[in-house]
Amino acid sequence: MMRDRAGERRGGKGEGGGRTFRRRGMGRRKVCRFCADKAMLIDYKDARALGHFLSERGKIIPSRITGNCAGHQRELTTAIKRARTVALLPYTAAYP
Amino acid sequence: MADRRYETLVVIHPDQGEPGVKELAARIRKLIEEQGGTVSQIQEWGLRDLAYVVAKQRRAFYVLFEYRATSKALAEVERNLKLTDAVLRLVSVRQAENAPPAPPRTARRFEREEGELEGAEQENLGEEMA
Repeated sequence: MMRDRAGERRGGKGEGGGRTFRRRGMGRRKVCRFCADKAMLIDYKDARALGHFLSERGKIIPSRITGNCAGHQRELTTAIKRARTVALLPYTAAYP
Repeated sequence: MADRRYETLVVIHPDQGEPGVKELAARIRKLIEEQGGTVSQIQEWGLRDLAYVVAKQRRAFYVLFEYRATSKALAEVERNLKLTDAVLRLVSVRQAENAPPAPPRTARRFEREEGELEGAEQENLGEEMA
């Protein structure tokens, strides 16, 4: 029941653009961070920024979770892979 | 042949030491220029922690080169760097013509501080700068 209500609320104001898009379950609509903030550039040299998109294990977090759009996710993965080749980012979690 | 904008990030063995890195950077600059390239910027990042162990080292020097060159020149520069023992890793990327030059490292850091960072991370940032 709660779930239904949440869904309605989403449909009412979350989408806005007239698209009837029903989101299942809780949570809010995710927006691509890079589309929202144009000043945010994807740069393989910026290990700290890229680190946000890595799991604790060092894996790339899927866009399904982060909400990145396909184009930016693609840029992001190549940037992360470049950073990995020069040891700015790990391939896996560091072992002791 | 069209010359294009490239940048190359070179990871240098820590045993080289600061003067050794300077010398090597000068050598790489000469190498690029010999190939008909023009170097616009050389950025030394200093000794940094590596994300994983490379050549049994946990830290290494990073130097970034920004230059214009032909693709042939780039291939030759890369070949040469790969033969250099002190160079542990390198990555070359073609830059867009209108892309701004890489900001110095410190400026980059401030930029991020202004951005949307959570409190915990800002603390970390402060520690690193200290």
